[in-house]
Amino acid sequence: MAKNRLSLSNVSNSPVVRRTKEAAGDAAFVAKKLLRSTGKAAWIAGTTFLVLVVPLIVAMDREQQINDLESQQASILGTPPPQLT
Amino acid sequence: MATDAAASAAATATSTTKKVDDRVDYFNLPCPIPFEELHREAMMSLKPDLFEGMRFDFTKMLNQKFSLNHSVMMGPTEIPSQATETIKIPTAHYEFGSTFIDHPKLLLWGRILTDGRLNARVKCDLSDSLTFKANAQLTNEPHMSHGMINFDYKGKDYRTQFQFGNGALLGASYIQSVTQYLSLGGEVFWAGQHRKSGVGYAARYNTDKWVATGQVASTGMVLVSYVQKVSEKVSLASELMCNYLSRDVTASFGYDYILRQCRLRGKIDSNGCVAAFLEERLNMGLNFILSAELDHRKRDYKFGFGLTVGE
Repeated sequence: MAKNRLSLSNVSNSPVVRRTKEAAGDAAFVAKKLLRSTGKAAWIAGTTFLVLVVPLIVAMDREQQINDLESQQASILGTPPPQLT
Repeated sequence: MATDAAASAAATATSTTKKVDDRVDYFNLPCPIPFEELHREAMMSLKPDLFEGMRFDFTKMLNQKFSLNHSVMMGPTEIPSQATETIKIPTAHYEFGSTFIDHPKLLLWGRILTDGRLNARVKCDLSDSLTFKANAQLTNEPHMSHGMINFDYKGKDYRTQFQFGNGALLGASYIQSVTQYLSLGGEVFWAGQHRKSGVGYAARYNTDKWVATGQVASTGMVLVSYVQKVSEKVSLASELMCNYLSRDVTASFGYDYILRQCRLRGKIDSNGCVAAFLEERLNMGLNFILSAELDHRKRDYKFGFGLTVGE
């Protein structure tokens, strides 16, 4: 058992393994940082979109619907509907 | 035959107006807009009155000229502090006001809040070209009350204004139409209490499609704005404000949609601040307001809703 552990530690101390470990650690660090900054950017972009663009889409869509309804009514009745003021 | 004559008359009329448009008629210039309203279009799109919490406004017209106003506001208010994070305390106010309008000669306007703040305004046309304006803000805190008196003189193609305020504040401004579209103006002010004085210059160019303004003041402020009217319903506005002395620069961009049942204004600026303001007309004289403001940098998020009853 002790011998086994010794050989394992020998293997883990070999330069190749150490370098791999370091590289993996660096990669994980960069990935984490990248993920966090992308997440933050996505959060900012998402909330900005929610506040700035979503109401605009909803409002434009409803305006379009009202226009469609009016033109439909006009085509059915033959005359433009009286303007409500 | 008669229609022919009318058509030819109209054609000559249009050709003459075109001729007038082609070269500048310096004796027939339009009256410019007042100096303090120079950035009116940009302000309309970029500075909606955002609020946080709940508000309810009720206006009752007692007769043609006199109306009473009640409003309730509830929500957190920021208190100024040195710390970077904002401190908010919940508050509630009731505001009572009355307005008397004898159009267009006289306007009397007053508002009083439950915490003792009083706002009053008077606007009175002394003659066709001379207007008197007074503005007072009274509080129960010492040194926070303000008073201001303005005299506006409106000429054929220019406007002047003289300003007197408490704390030995004196100001004067002048704006003149130079061509059909361009107007130039300047201002001087002197604040005796703070021992400050300054000079400012401004220019404004407006056509039917777009408006560009620029203003420079000796306080270090430079403000440039541009508003493009895309269609009758849509206008896009941008503004660049920099202060030469304190070295802060803010650029903002906004849109303003005036649709049949709602008006939507949105803006984004270089400080990481995003805002939207929606006024929805539910019924005749019944408006629903939604306001949102996100400040990503300060992590300060403000949302508000309100109802306005009566015109």
